[in-house]
Amino acid sequence: MKIYVGIDDTDSIEQGATGETAKQIIRIIEERRWGNCQGLTRHQLLLHPDIAYTSHNSSMCFTAEIETASLEPLIEAAAGCLERDSAPGSDPGLCVAAEEQLRDVESLIAYGYETKKRIITKGEAYELAGKLGVHLSEHGGAGIGVIGALAGVGLRMTNNDGRFQGRLELKVPGAIINVTEILCSNLVERVQSVDGYVLNKNEEVRLGHKLKTVLLGGKRTLLVYRREGALVWKTCTNAHLEHY
Amino acid sequence: MDDWIKKNKRGQVRFRGGSHDWLLAAGIAGNCPHFVLDDEDELLAEEERSCYNCRFRRWIDRYSFVCMKR
Ligand code: SF4
Repeated sequence: MKIYVGIDDTDSIEQGATGETAKQIIRIIEERRWGNCQGLTRHQLLLHPDIAYTSHNSSMCFTAEIETASLEPLIEAAAGCLERDSAPGSDPGLCVAAEEQLRDVESLIAYGYETKKRIITKGEAYELAGKLGVHLSEHGGAGIGVIGALAGVGLRMTNNDGRFQGRLELKVPGAIINVTEILCSNLVERVQSVDGYVLNKNEEVRLGHKLKTVLLGGKRTLLVYRREGALVWKTCTNAHLEHY
Repeated sequence: MDDWIKKNKRGQVRFRGGSHDWLLAAGIAGNCPHFVLDDEDELLAEEERSCYNCRFRRWIDRYSFVCMKR
């Protein structure tokens, strides 16, 4: 079965990073041979002075293919990991949604988008999780990470939100590389301009210093841009990607 | 001119340069003893040492942040 695992609020201003906690859970799943995990993504939620996030209000999500029998031990292990590894003073939350058991994908996606627009309460998150039949639990502090954990899963299910964790290593910065070579790395599924044009296999891209990919159209996408009149595409910078 | 806007009701100071004043943010972080590079997934500026990449900047909306160390 395919599952979505969302976590949020495992860090404090002084220590921890939710991406690192997610990677730790992925390691546990793979070491125990419960299944294979795919692409860890970071999803931006509403930035607002009245929300008690640490510094950027983002949540993390990954998917995994597992046997049904592994679902319960996996939830238990992930919960244990959040309790052990989250920073003191954090408010960790965990969401695990099994695709085949999920009752209403559209509501979950709508909730994901809603968390980008307005302040959501913990009660709302639990109520929706109950209706949809997804696991949602808190593991310390005020537990408000459940709001983002559920949102991370909803936004991942849109197939059109979030940046993949980590940087890509293709060639040295400044190198010009064609799209075929980029796709052959198996780290990117599509190369696309910020305006939505999908590059063909013979087009060339100049690599920047920090290469990040985003989730667009269900594909791991390397975004590029080109100044008017220029022949070669360039990879986007972090600033270009801030709204993904 | 001060680079920070006076304390809000929580006692925090907001960066005057919004979310795209790369030079100012790099200049402040260059001289700041509290600078700590944030997690790689949260970096915004290309130059590593910048308030935009610092663990102690807290975004209050898409356009500005407060410094948790000032
Ligand atoms: S955000 Fe604050 S602590 Fe960080 S570098 Fe800027 S002034 Fe220093």
